[in-house]
Amino acid sequence: MNFDVTPVEVVTREFVAVILAGFGNELLPLTGEHGDEPCPKALLPISNKPMLDYPLSWVEQSGIKDVLLICPSSHRSAISHYIHSQSSSASFSSVHIDLQTFDESQELSAGTCSVLRHFANRIKEDFILIPCDFIPPPSLPLSKLLNKFRTDTMSDGSIVTSCWYEHKSDKQATQDEWGWGSPAKPTPIVWDHLSGTLLYVDSPYETDKNRHELELRMTLLSRYPQAKLSSMLLDSHVYVCKRAVLDLLARKTRFDSLRDDFFPWLCKLQYQSTKQEKYATSIRIGIIIHRADDGFAIRVNNLPAYLEANRHFVADTSIGDFTRVEEKSTIKNSTIGKHCVIGKMVKIVGCVLLDHCVISDGAKLDGCILGNSTTVGTKAELVKCVTQAGYEVKDNESVRHEKLDISDWAAQPEDSEGDDEDSIGEEESDEDED
Amino acid sequence: MSPNTTSSTGKDKLIADEEEVLQAVVLADSFNKRFKPLTTHKPRCLLPICNAPLLDWTFESLALAGVQEIFVICRSHAELVKTAIKNSKWSKPGAGLKIVPIVTAKETFTPGDAMRDIYTHGIITSDFVLVTGDLVSNIHIGDVVREHKERRKMDKDAIMTMVVKQSGVNHRTRSKGDSAVFVIDPETSKCLHYEAVTGYPPKKYASIPREILNEHPEVEIRNDLIDCSIDICSVEVPSLFQDNFDYGDVRRDFVHGVLTSDLLMKSIYCYVAKEGYAARVRDTRSYDSISKDILSRWTFPLVPDDNHPGGHSYEHLRGNKYIAKDNSVILSRTCKIGNNTLIGSKSQIADNAQVTASVLGQRCIVGAGSIVRNSYLFDGAVIGPNCVVEHSIIGSGVHIKERTHVERGCLIADGVVVGPQAKLAPFSRLSKRRQDSDEEDEEFEDAEEHFEEEEDGDDEGEDGDDEDEVDSELEDVEANQDPKALAKLGSDTNAIIWPLPVVDEDEAIDDLEHPDNQRLMRIGDNASDLVLSDPGSVTSSESESDSDDDDDDEHFYDSNPASSTTSLPLSTPSNLVAQADSAVISEFQQEVKQSLDRAFAEGHSVDNAAVELKTLRMASNVSLRLVREAVIAAMVSRIKIIAGGGIPQRQEIASMIARWGGLIDKIGGVDPVETVEILQEYCASSDRLPLFGQILAALYQDDIVDEDDIRAWHGMSKSQGQGVKPATLQDCYNKCWVTGAHMIKQFDEQDSDEESEEDSDEGSETREPAVKNPVTKELPLAGGNSSEEGSCEESSDEEDEGDTDEDDSE
Repeated sequence: MNFDVTPVEVVTREFVAVILAGFGNELLPLTGEHGDEPCPKALLPISNKPMLDYPLSWVEQSGIKDVLLICPSSHRSAISHYIHSQSSSASFSSVHIDLQTFDESQELSAGTCSVLRHFANRIKEDFILIPCDFIPPPSLPLSKLLNKFRTDTMSDGSIVTSCWYEHKSDKQATQDEWGWGSPAKPTPIVWDHLSGTLLYVDSPYETDKNRHELELRMTLLSRYPQAKLSSMLLDSHVYVCKRAVLDLLARKTRFDSLRDDFFPWLCKLQYQSTKQEKYATSIRIGIIIHRADDGFAIRVNNLPAYLEANRHFVADTSIGDFTRVEEKSTIKNSTIGKHCVIGKMVKIVGCVLLDHCVISDGAKLDGCILGNSTTVGTKAELVKCVTQAGYEVKDNESVRHEKLDISDWAAQPEDSEGDDEDSIGEEESDEDED
Repeated sequence: MSPNTTSSTGKDKLIADEEEVLQAVVLADSFNKRFKPLTTHKPRCLLPICNAPLLDWTFESLALAGVQEIFVICRSHAELVKTAIKNSKWSKPGAGLKIVPIVTAKETFTPGDAMRDIYTHGIITSDFVLVTGDLVSNIHIGDVVREHKERRKMDKDAIMTMVVKQSGVNHRTRSKGDSAVFVIDPETSKCLHYEAVTGYPPKKYASIPREILNEHPEVEIRNDLIDCSIDICSVEVPSLFQDNFDYGDVRRDFVHGVLTSDLLMKSIYCYVAKEGYAARVRDTRSYDSISKDILSRWTFPLVPDDNHPGGHSYEHLRGNKYIAKDNSVILSRTCKIGNNTLIGSKSQIADNAQVTASVLGQRCIVGAGSIVRNSYLFDGAVIGPNCVVEHSIIGSGVHIKERTHVERGCLIADGVVVGPQAKLAPFSRLSKRRQDSDEEDEEFEDAEEHFEEEEDGDDEGEDGDDEDEVDSELEDVEANQDPKALAKLGSDTNAIIWPLPVVDEDEAIDDLEHPDNQRLMRIGDNASDLVLSDPGSVTSSESESDSDDDDDDEHFYDSNPASSTTSLPLSTPSNLVAQADSAVISEFQQEVKQSLDRAFAEGHSVDNAAVELKTLRMASNVSLRLVREAVIAAMVSRIKIIAGGGIPQRQEIASMIARWGGLIDKIGGVDPVETVEILQEYCASSDRLPLFGQILAALYQDDIVDEDDIRAWHGMSKSQGQGVKPATLQDCYNKCWVTGAHMIKQFDEQDSDEESEEDSDEGSETREPAVKNPVTKELPLAGGNSSEEGSCEESSDEEDEGDTDEDDSE
């Protein structure tokens, strides 16, 4: 597949899919750097497929040909390598992926609004905003959203169609214990069931303004007298938008986050006549609600979700290619990446191991997520830990409920006794550069 | 629940099996006066709607629901209600309905009081139906009661089920002025939040407590429900009213209170009726809409031609016309009867008369060529020839004489005679003068006074009560008639005009009963001039770029009440605001004066005095300038005028400024130009005019004002007294200005001094610094008046010095 040659421009491109791939700060330390190599969130595997595969194949199934993939510049090579590699290009042969980067650092990432504003000139048509971490359910094809958008825009002034999903997590209690941060909290929203209109999205600003009460405009309730209010739904961050949305975005320069600022504001615009006059558009925001009973949907934007997504797709255990498992080891309910080496008498329960992990003999892992190339020493015991790529757990070490990232490890030299001296030095120098 | 069950084991079974008598409580008092003056001589529940008293419609509705025992709580005109019950068909043997009237004390002012009364009577033994005496309904309340009882078995805390009817937001029977937002759990139909909505001023936000989401993650917010005021209550409800003595209204207080209380732990449910009809006559507007609903048969099987609560029989003709069946109606061949019209027996419609969408009682007469549109004529009303009656309610026995025009929204009480050739303003309310003898002599009062009285005992809100009270109210009204307005009612009239509702400033009137909100409940008032929709304002986050929207909002606010079409003599809001403001200001000035008096008398420190002033200012939210004015006035007024002037006077001023001058800049802002301006203003209008120059100089010396400030002040046109009246004052302003000008002149000279000194006196530095400073600081003392020779001398000395210096330099 020759991605460098621009295909003949189709006269009427209806949609372009804009996939936003960020740093994934919520997934730290998994997304921390491995030496100098970044570990892009978009490429974290979910059941041995990079996360990015899921939205890409979703887009492809809907027949959309053009994808604008936006990632941080530091991730460019890794992601570019991935989309040009044999494994993915085979499956996305019909999609033209335009990879663009923006400059930002992991510590200070630009808001989604500014990213979109920056690329506004590259988007000439209606677009679908998709996060790289949304794992769409098979029962919800993208075309369902597109069709709702098409009918709504034709029939009335709908300019955005959003998608919210219900997520039932049965392991809520245990996840809280882990101390990794709780899974994403649902945002209270108000919508009209009959017309499928999103009316109100609670935002941090609203919470600050009135912590105890939701303030809904009476004009909203007069227009939509049978509105529903729910605090069970999560934003998939999939938005089918008219091109005009970018113009609005350009006018509201102070907005930073699409989810927290822009869309809540847009919702309010729907029933504020004076403002609508000002922006000279009639505005309506459609909504598609995906119920938990209709299929599993999740946004993998934090660690509990990552673990859950991996578990969901793996019936019991999946082991990647070229991985070697020695004798007398037990592996249950786990996903093991490629090129791993698992020693003797190892016990792995409910874990996710990324590629190139080395587990020495007699180690015990329970409910852990190990980043790329993590090495676990002999008879080490990890319970509910997450490690950064390249982390080394020394022999006989026992850690529970911790996020192990390399800076911590380097800061505590006594932990790293007996480990590879070189690597410590490397990490320290890295820190200095920061 | 049932007190007669003794064994705890069989109790549940007994409750389930025993067919309890279904009780109902009818509140036969409206606790407000929206139908005045129609209700001066009879209670609202006895007003006829479609020719049957409201109370009968209520009984009929309850009978339909399978209620067996009804307690009627009456207060105003209790005797009339009792008689009406005795004479109704329900009191006949075999009616299957036991109706017990209960007369409550005159002090029963709210439904809550009535509920407390019920509690003390101890008449309620089980779940009961609570309705008002003005209900028209065909809903199967029995189903609701059953549902309620089922629920009670599961949840002992479910104390009430409200019956609400699904409709549209703008349904004609849904009161715009008094509606509500219900938050309901769609699965259990538990009511989680109740938010009352008043129509005007338009409510902007509904506030839904976030905490309900914890237990009920998905809820419905309903703004399309008609509150039928039918409640299935458990026995606890009256006792809850008893415990919470401040509960007045069943909805706004009780329901809201129970739902928001975290102590009561009771729950209230809604029954959303999708079928059937239920509404209560809350006001004249709903009287109109419910009449129309009955005529268009929404209330089937309760319709005029069948099950008519008054026992009349009507023939139903095409177009929802109903004509009394007994062949006593006399319709002229040339008259026109429009759709949705009901004509009672023995009524006569003369030639060329038109009757459309109206209800005529028995024995009504519509004269030749008259037009009756959207109006309600009670029994025996007579409309003379060539009259027009629109959107009005005409009491029984009213005689409207020829060529009278009754505009929309008029309420004419029983027995009034109007006309001939009268013209009634829209929304007039007329009632009969008590004695028909001429009382023209009483009508000497001014039109102004006419609007000031009335509405004093308002929170009592009653439908007419004690004869005394009615009389006193009537007397008030009668005593304040406007002869000009009366003259328009025609020569034969016996009517008095009820004043338009006004807002009494002192009285805390709740939004619901506010005249503007009440307008939404009047018959015939489309309230098109009230801005009811919220154009969508701007939250404070939308600051910079959206400020224009903010302006829009304010604009809306400003224009709202002022634009009432009905030429209400309401004081316009701007006036009110101005009045309120001036009150605040004078109060503030008073307090500041006292505060400063104390400070001066007791010798507070400047800082303490400043703190006190700041607090005062915050409390009354006045501008900084006022504080400054007060401080300067206090200071200047305390400077003694020393007869000889001269040095003692200067010392007096200097000591005062030294002691208190700092206060001027510590009141929360520094604005020396304004300080000078105020000083001028004060001096010009007081006897301390001669001191202006010296005080200014003293301020200058204490660094409270500096040279540039004086120049800036001097440059302002107002400082010269432009636009100041009267002329004498302007003169004084001018004197001050001249003084200032003089001072500036000195500054100028001095400046050139300095320059010259710096230029020339490099060698003589040993002397200069010591002298120069005092010179620049002490110099400016303006003359401007003859009394201060000393200062004049000194300044002239210095001038001289300056002059010589100048000369030197040149």
